[in-house]
Amino acid sequence: MSVDSQGPQVGTDEWVARQGQRREYLPSWLGRAQQAGERIGWWPKLAIACLAGLALPLFGLGGFQLQVGIDALVIALLAVGLNVVVGWAGLLDLGFIAFFGVGAYGFALLSSPQIGSAGIHLPTWLSVPIVMIAAALLGLAVGLPSRRLIGDYLAIVTLFLGEAFVEFTNNVAPSVLGGPNGITTIDPISIFGYQLTTNASYYYLLVIVVVAVMAVLRLLETSRTGRAWRAVREDPLAAAAMTIPVNRVRLSAFACGAMVAALAGAIYAAQQTSVFPTDFDTPILILIYAGLILGGSGSIAGAVTGALVVMVIYDGLLRSSTEAGYLFYGLILLTLLVKLRPWRRLALVLAATVALGFAAHAIAAAISASAVAGGPQSGGWIGDALRYWVVVPANAQTLGNWGFVVLICLLITLVQVSSRWRTILLPPTLCLASFVWETRLVTEPAITRQLMIGAILIVMMNARPQGLLGQRRVETAT
Amino acid sequence: MSAPEGPEVPGTPPVLELDQLSLSFGGLKALSGLDLKVRDREVVSVIGPNGAGKTTVFNVITGVYEPTAGAVRFAGESIAGRAPYVIARLGIARTFQTLRLFMNMSVLENVLAATYGGTKAMPWESVLRLPRARREEREARALAEDVLSFFGQRLAGYRWDQPAYSLSYANRRRLEIARALATRPRLLLLDEPAAGMNPAETHEVTELIGRLREEQGVAILVIEHDMHVVAGCSDRVVALDHGVKIAEGGFDEVANHPAVVEAYMGRHPEDLAEAD
Amino acid sequence: MSFFFQELVNGITTGALYSLVALGFSMVYGVLKLLNFAHGDLYMVGAYIGFFVIQWFGGAAHITIPVPLLLLTMFVLAGGLVGGLGVAMERFAYRPLRDAPRIAPLITAIGISFFLESSALLLFGAQYRVYNTAEFISLSSGIQIGSVTIDSVQIMVLVLGLVLMTALQLLVNRTRLGRKMRAVAADREAAEMLGINVNRVIASTFFLGSALAGIAGVMGGLLFNQVTATIGFIAGLKAFTAAVVGGIGSIPGAMLGGLLIGVAESMVTGYISSTYTNLIVFGLLIVVMLIRPSGLLGQAQLQKV
Repeated sequence: MSVDSQGPQVGTDEWVARQGQRREYLPSWLGRAQQAGERIGWWPKLAIACLAGLALPLFGLGGFQLQVGIDALVIALLAVGLNVVVGWAGLLDLGFIAFFGVGAYGFALLSSPQIGSAGIHLPTWLSVPIVMIAAALLGLAVGLPSRRLIGDYLAIVTLFLGEAFVEFTNNVAPSVLGGPNGITTIDPISIFGYQLTTNASYYYLLVIVVVAVMAVLRLLETSRTGRAWRAVREDPLAAAAMTIPVNRVRLSAFACGAMVAALAGAIYAAQQTSVFPTDFDTPILILIYAGLILGGSGSIAGAVTGALVVMVIYDGLLRSSTEAGYLFYGLILLTLLVKLRPWRRLALVLAATVALGFAAHAIAAAISASAVAGGPQSGGWIGDALRYWVVVPANAQTLGNWGFVVLICLLITLVQVSSRWRTILLPPTLCLASFVWETRLVTEPAITRQLMIGAILIVMMNARPQGLLGQRRVETAT
Repeated sequence: MSAPEGPEVPGTPPVLELDQLSLSFGGLKALSGLDLKVRDREVVSVIGPNGAGKTTVFNVITGVYEPTAGAVRFAGESIAGRAPYVIARLGIARTFQTLRLFMNMSVLENVLAATYGGTKAMPWESVLRLPRARREEREARALAEDVLSFFGQRLAGYRWDQPAYSLSYANRRRLEIARALATRPRLLLLDEPAAGMNPAETHEVTELIGRLREEQGVAILVIEHDMHVVAGCSDRVVALDHGVKIAEGGFDEVANHPAVVEAYMGRHPEDLAEAD
Repeated sequence: MSFFFQELVNGITTGALYSLVALGFSMVYGVLKLLNFAHGDLYMVGAYIGFFVIQWFGGAAHITIPVPLLLLTMFVLAGGLVGGLGVAMERFAYRPLRDAPRIAPLITAIGISFFLESSALLLFGAQYRVYNTAEFISLSSGIQIGSVTIDSVQIMVLVLGLVLMTALQLLVNRTRLGRKMRAVAADREAAEMLGINVNRVIASTFFLGSALAGIAGVMGGLLFNQVTATIGFIAGLKAFTAAVVGGIGSIPGAMLGGLLIGVAESMVTGYISSTYTNLIVFGLLIVVMLIRPSGLLGQAQLQKV
């Protein structure tokens, strides 16, 4: 329809009606990429991703990298299962990790010498479905209180159930469950008689499983079940008035998520050949949530993408300090690139940062030799490049700690102030960030990566709650 | 005293019957001894000042509240105390005074969601795209398109994939009615369908209700404040105040009934300034 | 029988601790309807502050100032600093999310909790810090009732706990600030429209709640001796349990809940085994949630259609 002589008519004019569909895209080439991406359908994109995933090892991925890939895919599988419960049905399940544990421990019990004199060694095609069904039943049991519990209460109860699982496997029936030492010597998965014993084989298995689960969930998303899940999240009262059995639908969401988690657990157990209670503790749950939030809750592709990104960064921070440096400085530069516009401002800030760094270093060196006696802890070319830029004293720990605290305060301030102050404060903040990184963060990668996870959750919820690939939601005050 | 109650087929029970319906919240009597009958294809309006208990009646009928006393019968069967989704599947659909759409779902998805009760495919059938699932999906979609086309160009094809939150207020109300129709109801409860609408839109609503009765063959129970709508579309009017029925009959009869005048305007209406 | 009473005393003491943390948690939930998962970590920060105060004044064995002054400093500093931290948390992390869907502040809280714990690990290291209470507080100067001993630290915890809880009750029920808090808890928008400075009220609530958690942290350090980055998580869990069992949003409920949890824990540890303590406490929570979701003293939440 075209605009006629009276002007566009709201309500009947198609051009006006489609106004909301004319999306705003990211500037320049990013926007063109976005548009191209939207023109390709969901299924072709899945096929491309599948092929890419399968082809990746051919580019020469070493042993460690394969393990990272496997871990990432397991978390991705868990994230996409969690998406059903949290993203679609809107049920805040903080005990989701327990289903993962049930799958892993279940598989372990059914495929190891643990039970009885020689143990049960069920074939894979039997044990995996059994643990999935067991998890589904547990999911139903967990979901039952959701009838009475609204949002927050459900979160608490599920959190406790998750904790209860860890306590349970740690303390109850140690002869069967292995106590804190867990269960070791678990059989590998065998498919059509072929036993999966190498990391590479599990990698390929996981790629296929993740893709398959994504496909199944996509088919569910566009079916009556998926619509019911989402309707129940939007407005349970209205959904009930529209013939949807709200409680039953919620239970099915729990069960579905549980089954996916159990599947992930079984594969995990087989690949690791051992399970321990600490594998299923809250930090892992937070990882899954971080992945889901980063990628976009409510979106299948988002869940997987977010989880993969989080895990690659998470594990990447544990490798050599050079690679960790790449990640750290790379992320900072990327953020600046995306957020600082126009280009002149970006250049100004970078130049000021570099100048400030050298100046500070020179001044510190002039004052006292020990002030710059320690070198940057990053290895490789990064460390070399930074030697005369970042100030690293001989005994850096305490100073680094204080620097950390000051850095947090600075970052919080940066968010609150006006644009001009931000430009002024950025160079010192960046120098300080590098200082803290070189003195403390890079020497404690295990802690740093946890800090990063916490930061992801905080920042995402404040800046972009819909994640990278999610849709902005409109909430009606209930 | 009671006006003609619409076409009565002897022997069949009325679509809806409220028999001495009472509901109390603690000490507060929301409804007291309410009697009401609605027949097939009848349009009955419920009027009354705010707080009279009109939406409460809807809530009791649709199962949100369980009555403290009295009976609620749908086509002769008692539905008091049954779960809302069961009542919805039996054939009672409603819209809400405060508009309760599935905001983040598209127009089409909103309507399709309401077809849940009319379909039976299990999740694995949907995943494997088995024949029953495919057929039900096709039929649901056809029903949705049919119901949306009831509103002509307002909710036409290009709107179907737009999220509900992007619709104008009037369109949202229409969508809510469309969604309710997708449950294939025998009785439709409209809670203030003309709220917040300008005169032109209000006129559309009045016509709409008439068309709903003719083309969709439903009985309609309407809560309304706008007397133009009430006068224009009702077969019968029921007036409530403080949870009690104070008048029933044709529009003119009820509008001039002394108890109704007092409920709306107080004991000395002549003291109020001229309205219309 | 005296064993029972001894365990009871121990339980009530730890219960007082849990009550204090639960109180802060419940208050925050009351005004913001937010489950602050980071609340337990405030307890942890308070415990660390107390430890560092001891170190600053010469270390457990060589305290340079009179012990009451030391204790006062510990409590005041912990309360003040942790209170400030709580206010900062609210100001920078939760306030922008006031009108966002409930899941947003919840996830943010989880993130903050994780971040706080990791920061503590980074700044203070993973080793256990020990208060060595016995070095500067003579434990033998307690009360003896029959064969039940209540040592001086326990007495202090009980007394201080009682004082604080009473003070809080008085504040909420008898002062203007308390009235404003209750108004904001009941209906934030209406309170704003009535001229109440909602931001300040919420900040005050956070300060008080967090300060209580910080003070409880010092008490915990004195009672249990060991401080590490992860004690916040468990303390938080127990506090949630207490707050929820007692009725979230209700102050007497938090007190009752804390006491119940503390006593339950003690009894289970004493009579059964400490390995099952947490499990049984969790089980208690689940049972209460199923029977009475709004908690023992809480109010059922009505939903308007």
